[in-house]
Amino acid sequence: MPLDNLRGLYQQVILERYKKPHNFGRVDPVHRHQRGHNPSCGDTIDLTLQLDPSQERIVDIKFEGAGCAIALASADLMADAVRGRTIPEALQLVERFQAMMRGGEEFPREQRALNAMKGVAQFPVRIKCANLAWHALKYALESPEPQADGSAFVSNENTD
Amino acid sequence: MAVSPLSSFKLDHSFDLAAQVRSDFPILQRQINGHPLIYFDNAATSQKPLAVLQAMDHYYRHCNANVHRGVHTLSNEATDAYEGAREKIARFVNAPSPQEIIYTRNASEAINLVAYSWGLSHLERGDEIVLSVMEHHSNLIPWQWVAQRTGAHLKFIQITPEGELDLEHYRSLLNDRTRLVAVTQVSNMLGSINPVQEMTELAHRYGAKVLLDACQSVPHMPVDVQALNCDWLAFSGHKMCGPTGIGVLYGRRELLRAMPPFLGGGEMIADVYWDHATYADIPHKFEAGTPAIAQAVGLGAAVDYLSQIGLEQVHAHEQRLIARLLDGIQRIAGITVYGPKDPARRAGLVSFSVEAVHPHDLSTLLDEQGIAIRAGHHCTQPLHRYLRVQSTARASVYLYNTLAEVDCFLDVLAEAVEFFSAALS
Repeated sequence: MPLDNLRGLYQQVILERYKKPHNFGRVDPVHRHQRGHNPSCGDTIDLTLQLDPSQERIVDIKFEGAGCAIALASADLMADAVRGRTIPEALQLVERFQAMMRGGEEFPREQRALNAMKGVAQFPVRIKCANLAWHALKYALESPEPQADGSAFVSNENTD
Repeated sequence: MAVSPLSSFKLDHSFDLAAQVRSDFPILQRQINGHPLIYFDNAATSQKPLAVLQAMDHYYRHCNANVHRGVHTLSNEATDAYEGAREKIARFVNAPSPQEIIYTRNASEAINLVAYSWGLSHLERGDEIVLSVMEHHSNLIPWQWVAQRTGAHLKFIQITPEGELDLEHYRSLLNDRTRLVAVTQVSNMLGSINPVQEMTELAHRYGAKVLLDACQSVPHMPVDVQALNCDWLAFSGHKMCGPTGIGVLYGRRELLRAMPPFLGGGEMIADVYWDHATYADIPHKFEAGTPAIAQAVGLGAAVDYLSQIGLEQVHAHEQRLIARLLDGIQRIAGITVYGPKDPARRAGLVSFSVEAVHPHDLSTLLDEQGIAIRAGHHCTQPLHRYLRVQSTARASVYLYNTLAEVDCFLDVLAEAVEFFSAALS
């Protein structure tokens, strides 16, 4: 089949997560809220996080929004990967994911589910799709004031 | 000649335009991902024929100098080339005088010029600007600014379920406070062709001015500003076989003369003192600074190229392609097509969505087979919201595309839809 070389990009797990995401929705209560946006295509990710009482650890994370298979699967896999992590640990994962999109190393065994996204690095125009949720997460975690309203979009336009 | 309706053009099926012109476009020889390029993103920008590339190359090699500045031979030649192109463009859209053709960077700048120069100086609180829901962002954002600064109101013409402008609704929006109607002649998302001649006549009855966004019409069909009787008409060079970096604003002479300058600098002046200046006559009043000379020359060559073929031929060819494309695409299960279903009522572009498949994913699959389409909101976010679709895919054709390419696109599209529906079922 002529489209066979796309199976590296559209791994079964990506298609499955796109079809039936595990983490779609909103957490309750919401401690951090951040919307991410790709202005060029209109894709949006609406990310909500619940933190522990010390505000140090991600207790739960969910997303809503509309986007392509790559963007939504990436958001869904991300939520699994960072749930239960401390904020510094989650930020490290963000960096590592963005590095993988630039052709960097795969994730070790514990987070190997994220390696399903590695094929995206071969499709430069789609890296922005994969990074959308991660970019929003970084903003959600780094903002000095805990944002519960998530009123502003963060644009994913100038990141790689 | 008026542009609507267009079905009156003679379709000459014995003349295959694409077969005659394909070899003029070097880029069409390219392979993309191991497949011959099928370029179906012409509504975003067109490819360039050799004649245009050579005209710009010749200009830089043989005539390069600044225009309107020197008395030396080269400056004179450069000025002739630059102003000669203006005359060609004026004839191309049947403007009464080349003075009414203003060079801009692109169509967006042409519309911004009218908004800043005319809009800010002529509109006031309570005035009304009529736009349509199908406007490209470039014919929306400048008017939002004008409205915010002057207190004028924006009104939007709705569309029918078929995706055409609702003329009844348009009539109901016009009144004595209407100062401007700014609409697109052809929708870059729906492909519908608006009856702009009739709309202009209606607007003029109320004393309103009319600006037409002709980005998707001038490259593809005959456009005659005198027949349309519009006050301004904006289009870009790069969508009509010309280079990027050059666009055109046609404006009625007396209107342009009454408008204040937009940008200040060299070229646009008559006399300059420490504290004030007087300005050049049109068109130069609106062309501050060293202009895009090579690009103007390139656009002149593009106009020559298209004129030689004839815009009736280009339009007839595109209608054949789009009839086949529309027919085929509607046979693929799960596809929604936007805009008129009758190919005679639309231009050479089709936007569509596929159930459960995001246009980006679709576009990546098509690109793997060498097919270039557009995926996203096509700079019409409010229209997508209005149609309740997040984003769409768009295939758009031009004179060099072939029926064989349409068939190949339809095959690959069906296969891509199958790929996803199998994986997602």
